[in-house]
Amino acid sequence: MGFPVSLRVDDEDVPAEAGDAVFAWLREVDERFSPFKAGSEVSRLDRGELSPDGLSADLTEVLHLCEEYRIATGGAFDVRLPGRGLDPCAVVKGWSVQRAAELLTAAGARRFCLNAGGDVVVSGGPWRVGVRHPEHADKLCTVLALTDGAVATSACYERGDHIIDGRTGRPATGLLGVTVVAPTLTEADSVATAAFAMGPEGIDWAAAREGCEVYAVDAGRRVLRSRGFPVSGT
Amino acid sequence: MKRALPVLVLSVAGLIPVWRYEPSTGSTATEATAPASTPSVSSSPGSSSKVVTGTLVPTEKGDVQVEVTYAGDKITSVRMLKQPNHPQTTAAVPKLIAETLEAQSADIDTVSGATITSDGYKESLQAAIDAKGA
Repeated sequence: MGFPVSLRVDDEDVPAEAGDAVFAWLREVDERFSPFKAGSEVSRLDRGELSPDGLSADLTEVLHLCEEYRIATGGAFDVRLPGRGLDPCAVVKGWSVQRAAELLTAAGARRFCLNAGGDVVVSGGPWRVGVRHPEHADKLCTVLALTDGAVATSACYERGDHIIDGRTGRPATGLLGVTVVAPTLTEADSVATAAFAMGPEGIDWAAAREGCEVYAVDAGRRVLRSRGFPVSGT
Repeated sequence: MKRALPVLVLSVAGLIPVWRYEPSTGSTATEATAPASTPSVSSSPGSSSKVVTGTLVPTEKGDVQVEVTYAGDKITSVRMLKQPNHPQTTAAVPKLIAETLEAQSADIDTVSGATITSDGYKESLQAAIDAKGA
């Protein structure tokens, strides 16, 4: 997938191997789930070389999540678009980074901040998490104060119009960016991508989801956020 | 406008069972609700936009009233003027706060953004944070 991962662990009693395990897990995920690698389980399933009941428990879990979000968004979020290969990246990323955070917790880490290509999991805060401004790479549009939880942002500034609205088959428009805070990154990342695919109606949809708080910038540069979105006081 | 009014009545009629619905009750009887008032229509001069205020419909969960804006025959927005203060309703209509977009700089621990590639990372704020911590 090719994104930078930053990890900060503040607990001095946690061995460095705990951090190594995080990076090893994320590399393993890339090998197993990347649709860009011919030998990955995802690519083999897509080519019909694996039967749906012969999949690993991890991929089965990921595909179940994909299906849940497809149904919840009325088809706007879809990892099986016509004319394209199976691409569960949008769920795999959040799911795998959440699992990485759980590895750290299991290794005894209490205060840490894990950032994988802009997706964030924090523990034992206070942590101050900035949200990149959708139009200015060197600026923030808001800062949140978070103790424990996950933050994910979906926007079109970095990789162009890469998020497709599964209902139309065309690039999603109508929003410059959506940031979601949720108890897990699995939920935050999937909901942010799904809301972005839905367009403006995705803001209400995301805000109505249990445990999710939303901050969105629409095409008119208006900010809409849910009441519980944890904007930092200063 | 003649086409618009039945649509509005249908919208309101469609909402009533939603608030009336109670999963635990044995009775499934639905009373016909007589409109308490007639819909009112206002149109702004110089534009084809029309705002129709629906009738106030009393339900056992509270009063329901909608306002529908039309551009020609198309509905451009529906606003709840009155809605019952009931968990089912409040969960379905999240309250959002509207703000203006700001560009700020602040002392932060990390940055959330759309998936950044290794190329984009070199110029990112996160790279600066990592360089400071290393």
